[in-house]
Amino acid sequence: MARHGQTATGLRLRPPRHGVAPRARRWWTAQAWLTVTGPLLLTAAALLVLSLLFFPGALPWLGPLLLGVLVLPAVVYVLAMPRLRCRIHAWEVGESAVYAAGGWLLHKRRIAPLSRVQTVDTVRGPLQRAFGLATVTVTTASTAGDVRITGVSDEDAERIASRIAEAARLTPREGDAA
Amino acid sequence: MSDLRTGGLGEAGQPWRTLDPRTLAVHCTWMGAPLGSLALAALATGGRIGTRAWITLAVIGAVFAAVTTAGVITWRRTRYRVTADAIELRTGLFTRSVRAIPLHRVRNVDITANLAQRLLGLAVLRAGTGGGGPGGVLSLDSLARPEAVRLRAELLARAGAARAEDPVLAVADLRRLRYAPLTFWVVGGVFAAAGAVWRVLDGIGIEPWRIGIVRRAFEDFGNSALWLTIPLGLLAVAALGTVGAVALYAENWWNYRLEWTDAATLRVRRGMFTTRSVSIERARLRGVALREPLLLRAGGGASVRAVAGGLGNREENRRRSVVLPPASRGEAQSVCDGVLGEPFAPAGLTAHPRAALRRRVVRAFAWCVLPPAAVLAVLGALLTPVLLYCAAGWLVLAAPVAYGLARDAYRGLGHGFRGRFLFVRSGTFGRETVALDRSAVLAWTFTDTPFSRRAGLVTATAAVAAGEDGYRIRDMPAADAAGFADAATPGLLTEFLDHGEQPPHIPGFVRSS
Repeated sequence: MARHGQTATGLRLRPPRHGVAPRARRWWTAQAWLTVTGPLLLTAAALLVLSLLFFPGALPWLGPLLLGVLVLPAVVYVLAMPRLRCRIHAWEVGESAVYAAGGWLLHKRRIAPLSRVQTVDTVRGPLQRAFGLATVTVTTASTAGDVRITGVSDEDAERIASRIAEAARLTPREGDAA
Repeated sequence: MSDLRTGGLGEAGQPWRTLDPRTLAVHCTWMGAPLGSLALAALATGGRIGTRAWITLAVIGAVFAAVTTAGVITWRRTRYRVTADAIELRTGLFTRSVRAIPLHRVRNVDITANLAQRLLGLAVLRAGTGGGGPGGVLSLDSLARPEAVRLRAELLARAGAARAEDPVLAVADLRRLRYAPLTFWVVGGVFAAAGAVWRVLDGIGIEPWRIGIVRRAFEDFGNSALWLTIPLGLLAVAALGTVGAVALYAENWWNYRLEWTDAATLRVRRGMFTTRSVSIERARLRGVALREPLLLRAGGGASVRAVAGGLGNREENRRRSVVLPPASRGEAQSVCDGVLGEPFAPAGLTAHPRAALRRRVVRAFAWCVLPPAAVLAVLGALLTPVLLYCAAGWLVLAAPVAYGLARDAYRGLGHGFRGRFLFVRSGTFGRETVALDRSAVLAWTFTDTPFSRRAGLVTATAAVAAGEDGYRIRDMPAADAAGFADAATPGLLTEFLDHGEQPPHIPGFVRSS
């Protein structure tokens, strides 16, 4: 049996050149407070007040339970997530492909050639708008090939979008309008 | 090969060969059942053999003599040979016949063996032309196993040259029905049918447990000997499921035909009551997926799906992209070859590092083996020691099974590329070997978790605009992933590869060029 194609080992993917806007960390922190940390802490506080008022006897075991299950995860999340995301999230529009890295515990790096780009969407949510940030989504014909660049400044988002659109127009298409 | 006797030389210069003489022994296996029952009867009666037993023994002896004589004559008269352009078989006890199949028409070569043949080291080789009917298959029953393997390799090597000429890749074959019981429907079908009946009854306001017959049946079931009725019930469910699975298979795959209608269209036609026809454009065809679910794999079967775009949403794509129903591994292989237009060769894929095995074992134990054991143990400690024994028993039973499955999952992992195609293999319950057109890969994704980072592994996903959209190479070495992707799809990610110097992390859009 002939062997399958082998790889040149040791070649590693470098991180994308451009990091997110410095404001993104505050945006992620706000997001964490609104979606995870805030609700968890509120629940913990409500349960604590209720038990103080009506079941004072439950405090010895309820206190540590709330601390372990609700408060600690909430605090760890709001402290760790924005920090890690700032370190991991990055993007780059190269000569022939767009490259984005993201995630905080689960890291994800995706590369799609500009010749396969179908659309470029820029989305600004209400919270993002407050921080002057945007998310650029580059779609290809495959749902497993959509590249999302989050936490870039408005100006960068516009430049990314126009550059990708221009490159996609110039590059000869490789025929997959599926 | 001592068991190969050469007969006279034919006109083509190739010697005629005989089948393996041990075939005669296989023909005697039918005696097992009557002799066994006779022995049991003798044992039960304490060694006294009555007149009826003597008559049975005499009949067995006579049939044995007749069958063996016929077998010897058949064996002596059956000869085969492979000439420059055909495989020929001379047979016949009373009438002599010579059958020949041109090598270029041979589309699949199967090797099978039943238990007796396996014990004797024999195998049956079937060479098929892909056309229907008994005339399309030439069967050599049976050969020594190494000879069968050698002959298959020889036939396939010679058959490959003209393979692309025949536009018909596969047609319906009743013998494939034997793979129907190896599908999910054997068990799932019965429950699905029961659920459907229940819902219909529920819909018209009948509550089945109120009907006297049903309740009485259940009560009788509960009162009778459970050690007998439960296995019998399971057997009944399995039998019902098998009948259902075969019926479903027959309905779905009656009149099945897979062919290239022209150079650019692959068409699947099938169905008994509802006839279905799916056409797949060559331009949208990105590869094939050879699927071997656990049961089917154990039975030596496989099914094939086309990896194609434009067949509708994910669900419709799964339903419509099947190009070969559960069939023998050899047929699946030849259909893959025919659909791809070049050999589907998943042999020799790069294996994944041992860390991948460790992850699978840990996962199997952490999710499937230990939680029930822990629950049983805690309950046992609180309530009754019987549950502690249950926990221990569960561990003893489940641990080897979980380890075996994890090991099988690890062994299944593989990736590589050859010719136009990228090959990815993974899975244990649903093993799938996928060949993807390398030029159709339109993005690469690399994902890792804190656990996989520590193990030095990464999962690479090739995105295509077809089939499941993303095909994952699970747990490949992190050091090789980028290099492999770059080699498989040249140029796609070359500019982002690390060439030594570490570029600075620049915030914002500042292009150096």
